[in-house]
Amino acid sequence: MNASLMFLEIWVVALGIVMMLADFFFCVTPERKRFLAYLGIAVLGVLFLELLGPDAPTGTAFHGAFVEDSMAIFFKRFFIIAAILVLFLSSEFSDSVPGGILEFYSLIIFALAGMLFAASSNDFVMLFVSIELITVTFYVLVSYQRARLLSLEAGVKYLIIGALSSAFMVFGIALIWGTAGTMNFTELAQVAPQFLDNKIFLTGVIFLFAGLGFKIAAVPFQIWAPDVYQGAPTPATAFLAVGSKAAGFVLLLRVLFTAIPAVTARWADFLIIVSALTILYGNLCALPQRNLKRLLGYSSISHAGYMLLGVAAISASGQSAVMYYLAGYLFTVVAAFTVIALVMQHLDHEDVSALAGLNQRSPLLATTMTLSMVSLAGIPPLAGFFGKFLLLKAVIEQGLSTPNHGYYCLTFVALAGILISFYYYFGVIRAIYWSKDTRDLSPIPLSGGAKFLALLCIAGMFWIGIFPNTVLNLANAAAFGFK
Amino acid sequence: MQHELFPWLILFLPLLAAAAITLFTLRSRALSAFLSIGAIVTGFILSVIFINANGWHFSAEISRTWLSIGSLQIDWGLKLDALSMMMLLVVTGVGGAIHVYSVGYMHEDSGFARFFACLSLFTFSMLGIVLANNFIELFICWELVGVSSYLLIGFWFERPSAGDAAKKAFIVNRLGDFGFLLGILTVWGLLGTLNFSDLHGQLTANPAALGLSATVAGLLVFCGAVGKSAQFPLHVWLPDAMEGPTPVSALIHAATMVAAGVYMLCRIFFLLNPEALHVIAYIGGFTSLLAALIAVQQDDIKRIIAYSTLSQLGYMVMAVGLSGPTAAMFHLTTHAFFKALLFLSAGSVIIALHHEQNIWKMGKLRYKMPITFWTFLVGALALSGVWPFAGFYSKDSILAQALAQHDYILFADGALVAGLTTFYIFRLFFVVFLGKEKSDGASHAHESPAVMTLPLVVLAVFSLIGGFIGIEGVYSGMFVGESGISTGFAAAIFEPFIHSPLAASLGLCLVAIGFFAALSLYAKADKDPLPEKLGGLATAMKNKFYFDEFYEAVFVRAHDFIAAVMNWIDRWLVEGFCIGLIRGGTDLTGRALRLVQTGNLQTYAFFFVLGVAVVLWLVLK
Repeated sequence: MNASLMFLEIWVVALGIVMMLADFFFCVTPERKRFLAYLGIAVLGVLFLELLGPDAPTGTAFHGAFVEDSMAIFFKRFFIIAAILVLFLSSEFSDSVPGGILEFYSLIIFALAGMLFAASSNDFVMLFVSIELITVTFYVLVSYQRARLLSLEAGVKYLIIGALSSAFMVFGIALIWGTAGTMNFTELAQVAPQFLDNKIFLTGVIFLFAGLGFKIAAVPFQIWAPDVYQGAPTPATAFLAVGSKAAGFVLLLRVLFTAIPAVTARWADFLIIVSALTILYGNLCALPQRNLKRLLGYSSISHAGYMLLGVAAISASGQSAVMYYLAGYLFTVVAAFTVIALVMQHLDHEDVSALAGLNQRSPLLATTMTLSMVSLAGIPPLAGFFGKFLLLKAVIEQGLSTPNHGYYCLTFVALAGILISFYYYFGVIRAIYWSKDTRDLSPIPLSGGAKFLALLCIAGMFWIGIFPNTVLNLANAAAFGFK
Repeated sequence: MQHELFPWLILFLPLLAAAAITLFTLRSRALSAFLSIGAIVTGFILSVIFINANGWHFSAEISRTWLSIGSLQIDWGLKLDALSMMMLLVVTGVGGAIHVYSVGYMHEDSGFARFFACLSLFTFSMLGIVLANNFIELFICWELVGVSSYLLIGFWFERPSAGDAAKKAFIVNRLGDFGFLLGILTVWGLLGTLNFSDLHGQLTANPAALGLSATVAGLLVFCGAVGKSAQFPLHVWLPDAMEGPTPVSALIHAATMVAAGVYMLCRIFFLLNPEALHVIAYIGGFTSLLAALIAVQQDDIKRIIAYSTLSQLGYMVMAVGLSGPTAAMFHLTTHAFFKALLFLSAGSVIIALHHEQNIWKMGKLRYKMPITFWTFLVGALALSGVWPFAGFYSKDSILAQALAQHDYILFADGALVAGLTTFYIFRLFFVVFLGKEKSDGASHAHESPAVMTLPLVVLAVFSLIGGFIGIEGVYSGMFVGESGISTGFAAAIFEPFIHSPLAASLGLCLVAIGFFAALSLYAKADKDPLPEKLGGLATAMKNKFYFDEFYEAVFVRAHDFIAAVMNWIDRWLVEGFCIGLIRGGTDLTGRALRLVQTGNLQTYAFFFVLGVAVVLWLVLK
């Protein structure tokens, strides 16, 4: 037992409980709501600095079920920053949440706790519990705007497809345990080579993959994403897009490269196909899309595909590229959803045309949105460019060192996908600056917090894009230390 | 080296000022002007301190690696030697005077702050050219001065002529820059480095390192100078560039940017072999004669001075071609003083006459604008090359260089241009400042405010003494094959007569002839008497020898024709056929795929399970 490794998670859970109970003791006025969000952010900030510094302890706990290594630390930092940004965004969004914003905050924090556990999972039980903690809180978060039909619909869809995927996953875990006789990733890695041709074992792995594919929205488990992204309250969508997806990726990396590396090594073709299809599906479906949140839903599918490039590369540099990409994706996506939340929170639709004339209504938001789209499209010097560069580099390197020509096809598909994506990302920019159907040109009032959040995201996108070394070194340490 | 930080500050302060003005202070006129002037004046003071601390005869490089791709390493570095330090003083000194003058000149303009932002951007880029220690850095700044020149020529963009002139300047410069870039690539391909010191080292160790491509490489690099310094055949943009505000004409299109081509040639002088130098010399000589002839028959005060700039740039290029970079740089420096002075004085006249630029609507301004009158006279004398004004010394060193190289054609050309120069500048002088008032505006003119006349006086002082305060001594010794000249102050005043008596005396004779010709023809003229005497030649001169018309008929038409063909191919073959099919196909696939997203939960669940089944089959088959 080494519970001291879990201080961070314990503190986060405690913070969530305190946040939830605060409703009983305070008369919550709007100012206090915001204050409590800032308090939560401050606590998370302190935890980040205190517990995730450069000399954070490493080791394992609970008989190897909980592991704290450089990869876990990388992802924990990522999740805490994501939660801080989303809390910020929620505090700006609180007008649109009919009551109990504090519960909204505390649910975000509980989801964060789930993500933190996920980052450290080294055992199927841990994996399943943490993923359920995330998913169950998201059921509530997605349907939080109870008065909005779309939100409820999204919640139900997420619940049912999520339950389906959990069922597959738990069945898969049972099959794996039944054949291999162990739940622990490290132990499984030693026995897995014996089961390379065991169909029951492989079925178990695929069922598990279905569960994780659902989290990251990879083809063919992507179908829920647009509907849920569209219906969920915008801060919840943002957290779904970054936090939940990243949790899926950390677990995927753990399972594929720690638990069953022997199986993964044979799966290059399969991963290439999944990655290629995910990229194409996301980008092609986004083309005719006019609803902005739905558009970002499809875009998030395509980005899952890009990140799967790094997984399909089956190399440490591929994993490091995935982590780097996630870091850039975090600021980019939160920037986009911040703008959506601020511009559209009082509109009944989220059509792209609502952005018309934004450059006159609020130059800061117009800039934020433009930079975010440019970064998503992958244009230098923003974060998205260098991330895509690293992913493609990993794939091409793998193509050079193995005789598998699929890697070159995958590179080509990815480039085609990126090219297609330019069309709809720049469609958004065009709507901001050149759209003729502008009716409402009233300035958008921005609170200090909103301005700060937008500037923070812009700074993040530029920082990761122009000075890639800090994040890249951390990602490399995580990926190569992991091997 | 002392004060290592200073050169960085000198370089980047104007950029900071430009950024600060553009981002924050566009609405505050005073603050914008303060930032811009503060940046350049601080630069000047720091330059003086830096040079005082380190002395003139010192050479150093500071650089940071900027990019490293394979064997190509690009630095962002500063090269500090006599050449760049003197240019630092010229750019920040003359530039500072012009910045101050602009406060008066642009006083009523609504784009005041924008003007200063552009000026600061220009100053940064120009300092970048001066300090660059490698070709890439030089080229980037080279393009940046092109951009700032474009922005400033087109400053009054609501006038179509200003917009056209800006485009013309930019496009013509692109032609030269294309050659320049090819030259840079050739040099890099053959020698594998772009750092000036490394290149110099390689070529000193092995003069034949460039092999047969030496002449081609040299001439390609020279293309850049042809564009930027407006040499024949790309000289057509500079006169049109006078559409910009007058301080811009003084700073960019007289004192600094157009001289950048000459500076660049001196910086890479070691790259040029005798054949390339020969071509350069004759292009310079021809430009100088051509422009002087055109200047004789222009009526716009700024255009006359612009053609004069062309002609003087031709002198400098000729000097480089005659293996005399010291003479070229010396003339560049003195020219910066007196040509900025002439432009600013002309600007003072233009403002006094409410933007009237035709010299035949001026006249008798001597008593109404005494300071402008005297400073213009100083500038005119310096330009003509009258002893002991600055222009005399530098022009003389060029003529002496031609004699020393035994190139008598270029010597005769240079001497003739000296005569023509005196003729056209005193034609301008007599018509504008003496004679009768030729319009109402001229009779109501009055002297400009002190913020404008003070820079005039400062520049006039330097135009007077610039020849014998040791500028030439700073440059000499920088270049291979030239010995340093060091003489005392008093001796320096008479030095040209001892060093090369023929050049000095012949030059002065032709100046005298030009002066008296102008005096007899224009001292009391109401209209130009020359067209009657010269007939067709005068018309040709007035129409700039029809270069614009010729280019329009040949190059622009041919270009339009090719563009039309390409447009057809692009529109029907590429766009319609190739792109149309791909785009339509992609779009259709997108729409079809979207049908999967029915929104129906049962369907979704079905697809999910179907997906699992397909994956199972795919992996287990």
